[in-house]
Amino acid sequence: MPLVTVDGQQIEVEPGATIIQAADRLGVEIPRFCYHPDLRPEGNCRMCLVQVEGFARLVVACATPVTDGMVVSSPHTSAETAEAVQGVLEFLLINHPLDCPICDQAGECSLQDFYMHPDYGLHTSQVDVVEKVRKRKRIELGPRIVLDSERCVMCSRCVRFSADISGLAELQFIHRGNRVELIAFEDRALEDPYAGNLADLCPVGALTSRDFRFRRRVWHLAHTDSVCAGCSTGCNLRIDHAENRIERLVPRRNPAVNSSWICDEGRLSYLRANGPDRLSQPLLSGGEEVAWPDGIRHAQELLATDDASGTRPLLALASASATNESLLLFKHLVTRAFPHHRLDFRLSQETDLVGARQDHLLRRWDKHPNTMGAFYLGFSEQPGGLDDYLQAAEAGDCVALVLLYYPPLVGDELPPVAAALARLLELCPHSVVLTTHRLPYLKGASLSLPVAAWAEEEGTYTNYQGTVQHSAKATEPPGAAREATAVLADLLHTFTNHRPSTAPEVLFAELEHTVAAYRGLDYQHLPSRLASVYPPEGRMHYGEEGFSGR
Amino acid sequence: MAKRDSQVVDVRARAEATRARVPQDVMGILSGQEVTLRQMIRQTVGRHHVTIQYPEQRKPYSRRFRGVHVLTQRQDGSLKCTACYLCETVCPAECITIEAKEVSAPGIEKGPARYEIDLSRCIFCGLCVEACPEEALIMSREYDLTARSRGPESLRYGIKELTERPEIAAYGSGFRPHMQYPLVESYLPLTARPAAAAQPPAKRSKRR
Repeated sequence: MPLVTVDGQQIEVEPGATIIQAADRLGVEIPRFCYHPDLRPEGNCRMCLVQVEGFARLVVACATPVTDGMVVSSPHTSAETAEAVQGVLEFLLINHPLDCPICDQAGECSLQDFYMHPDYGLHTSQVDVVEKVRKRKRIELGPRIVLDSERCVMCSRCVRFSADISGLAELQFIHRGNRVELIAFEDRALEDPYAGNLADLCPVGALTSRDFRFRRRVWHLAHTDSVCAGCSTGCNLRIDHAENRIERLVPRRNPAVNSSWICDEGRLSYLRANGPDRLSQPLLSGGEEVAWPDGIRHAQELLATDDASGTRPLLALASASATNESLLLFKHLVTRAFPHHRLDFRLSQETDLVGARQDHLLRRWDKHPNTMGAFYLGFSEQPGGLDDYLQAAEAGDCVALVLLYYPPLVGDELPPVAAALARLLELCPHSVVLTTHRLPYLKGASLSLPVAAWAEEEGTYTNYQGTVQHSAKATEPPGAAREATAVLADLLHTFTNHRPSTAPEVLFAELEHTVAAYRGLDYQHLPSRLASVYPPEGRMHYGEEGFSGR
Repeated sequence: MAKRDSQVVDVRARAEATRARVPQDVMGILSGQEVTLRQMIRQTVGRHHVTIQYPEQRKPYSRRFRGVHVLTQRQDGSLKCTACYLCETVCPAECITIEAKEVSAPGIEKGPARYEIDLSRCIFCGLCVEACPEEALIMSREYDLTARSRGPESLRYGIKELTERPEIAAYGSGFRPHMQYPLVESYLPLTARPAAAAQPPAKRSKRR
């Protein structure tokens, strides 16, 4: 294994690794535009120039493999390198429009951060520009992306993403010299279902998100690391929020799950939770809103079945969009309070679809984030599922139903599922539904209890690979809605006189203890917690809560 | 603490000494009143006024006075503000609220959909004006602010109040960071009504 020294620190890396990878592992910050760990190296931006002992010239750290005994100096320690990097920056800034005040990238812009760097930035330009080269601005490339070619630094990250990752090759450079310009052919709308990643990839403000456009300045955002609940892939992402509203989702890098990407549907899945049709008070079937103590009391009256014979058991259905922790309490409620019950999570074909790919990259057909979790918890029996419940109800064997249901964050509920749910609620005389939204197909419920949606509660999801991932709480649920675990704990207390803990780490410890597949997992050190946004931020050190602490 | 020695006081001698000082003390009082009297005569007969009849009369303030904010406009009357949020970011009192919107004028992409300054919270430090890269926000010399409620008629001034209030024109422009240069490419309600600037309006009668 080659041993390399970067700025006096030594590290052993695998053969074939590049200098920049060794430096990243050591925490030595080498400036870069075109390098991205999940794209093939191109070496065109010349920002990552470093000095290597014994080499006649500076080399690019992103495309030079390390050799044993290599001694590397970054611009932080080598004056010659710093001067070269400064020269590159100076050229880039000659024609840069400097419209930072209206640029959405400002605050997380590599060009800004590098220029402000004390070791190689803060130069006075030697070029006296009378008139800058003007290029086209505000070109809308489809519903996700705005292109501003004046701000582009020609790093080609977007071109490589489009060609190699999404495979559609929709972007290209034209012209030469200082007139190089990024274009999509005839300014056609990007058809890429992963186009949103271009805005994250772009180190400057050339490609920005249309959804987030002018919404907030990034330094006013607070960040919460979480995972996507749009489908069974469970992409790692970061929730950026302010004033109790989610403003955008950006991917975090987890090579084992989603590399550095998320799909556009997942990126916009927060809109469902921000929506106006949220259920915010316990609701009786007549439309009357009641307070929580009354709601719990009604639930007790509705579910109290005197089914001694066991022919008409309580039907319990929890969708696989609930967290493992909620599912655990749901199972406790059903098994401990109702000796005769049926328990399931299948609304349609989740167990068959859980690993089925929708495309070559990330999306999967199963739009439930926790199908594997529900499966591991033993929610499914044969025969079972929504269809089987419906058959029982049609035969008149449903007296009470408890349903924990989350509408899918990506797309709408499948029409057959929605119809079956509506029919089931119509047939069951007593039904308690725990859900997040006022949904037309759940109108027939005797009692609806409002629960927190994704990003409003903490917990874990088990993705299609069986990897347990941590989903964090970023915002407060609307109105009187509460975390599903808290509501289920209340119900358990009412029925069994025992109140379980709702702390996610306590519930996960129980899961770890009872589910064989989770044995040995540590809630605080789940792999998804290690993923972080690329490129790493914090050069300007605004602090955790944003610049003004809002 | 050590015990103090008792002291013998000659009461009679002290009373006599006090009596001997009386003429001196009376003179002290009279000489003080002389100052009052002199000022009274100066200000009534001599008309040398120290106080003025506020609010009918007002004193001129410095050209760099930091009063109520003004949003400046381009020649076509649109706001110069590009909603960059620098003023909101720098404001130590956190009294500025901005919402941005897309603007479709040629060469202009962004502007404020909402721009609000809560003047009841503002400390008039002028940092917002110094932060503004466009001189889109400057200050006027308007200093007396009243509001009748914390609700709708409060001191939360929006775009309309920060551009169109007649008081702004009447008081004239105040602090901006580059006072040595004229305002670039701006139309101001301040310069539009020079006649009104000579006489500040009597505020909505405060002594009702």
